[in-house]
Amino acid sequence: MPEPGFDTHNGCADARIASIVYGNKFLTYGSLGGDPYSEALNLINILNKPSLTSVIPHIRFFQTPAVNQESQEISSWHWKKELSTQEDLLYNEEDQVQELIFRIRTSLNITCRESLANRLVTLFNDAREEDFNNVGIDADSLRNFYKFLQLRPNLKFPAISLTPDCNIYASWRPKKNWVFSVHFIPTGDTRFVIFKPNDRHPERQVRLSGITTTDILLETVAPNGVLDWILE
Amino acid sequence: MKGDHLPKQDHIARLCLQKTISDGQIQATAFQLRKTDEYLSANWVEFLNCSDREREIKVLRDIYPKKLTVKRTAKIAILNVGEVIDKVKNETPDGRTLRVLHNPNEVDPSHSGIYDLNQDDVVISELILEAVRETHPARE
Repeated sequence: MPEPGFDTHNGCADARIASIVYGNKFLTYGSLGGDPYSEALNLINILNKPSLTSVIPHIRFFQTPAVNQESQEISSWHWKKELSTQEDLLYNEEDQVQELIFRIRTSLNITCRESLANRLVTLFNDAREEDFNNVGIDADSLRNFYKFLQLRPNLKFPAISLTPDCNIYASWRPKKNWVFSVHFIPTGDTRFVIFKPNDRHPERQVRLSGITTTDILLETVAPNGVLDWILE
Repeated sequence: MKGDHLPKQDHIARLCLQKTISDGQIQATAFQLRKTDEYLSANWVEFLNCSDREREIKVLRDIYPKKLTVKRTAKIAILNVGEVIDKVKNETPDGRTLRVLHNPNEVDPSHSGIYDLNQDDVVISELILEAVRETHPARE
């Protein structure tokens, strides 16, 4: 029986929910063609279906008066792993990836959230299709990337690919011979590389690389003018 | 013969899986190693003994599915052996000298490898990407 009041026009929402719930299947895109409130409707649909409550991220907010607790919440996701119920067993890496993509898609402060989420779904499916035993995307690497997005939500849409170990690798190439690439390592670190022309010797290139924690990545690379390339 | 250095004037082909391609463009991740990999797999193009690039690509397209699932959007990157070695030697902080060696097997006699890479060589993977001379679809 359809949900009163929140029925969608084309059934895409149900298809998406099903794809999220049954994690052994490939993910599908979440866009509901033409509906400006599609994401809100989708979320409402999920919330209203008792049998599908498991798709809602397991959130534990800290009991503090902080206005924005979102960043604190990320670090608490591992909390589920410490429990030992049947539900927790289902909280595997693939579920975590689905949750993180869902969070990116619904984070209103991330400017290119829809494109990012769609790209991540495509990558997940590509990786699984190439090797079904593959995790698709490493959940800890994706969590690290999400943390980066939360710190600087106004990023230009990067070229995103996966390393052989299914870690997130993002690249910005504003012009020929200009590259800023970041490997989001599952440990919470980032490995970065910058290639750019040498201002005094235009035929030569400046090449820099390093490793740092995600929270100070941009301030580390800022002196090299990278922010101008990658921020909206 | 296994372990032979490939001539510097020859070429290697690297299969770039779909997860290493963004918007039709090969990314540096196509030239990175897994934690467990000793070398980066490639094929010695001249070993295929074809008369032109079109035939070489066709032979490669027949070889890949014997080993891997190849999606329609995967690509083949063609690199010159000497250019890769020289570029990495000249442009890495440690002046890394890569070796490109023949590593044939029963299924794939042209199989070769780029050796002396590390799993965390982000700079080298970006340099190899810059050395890509041609790209071709990995499937017809």
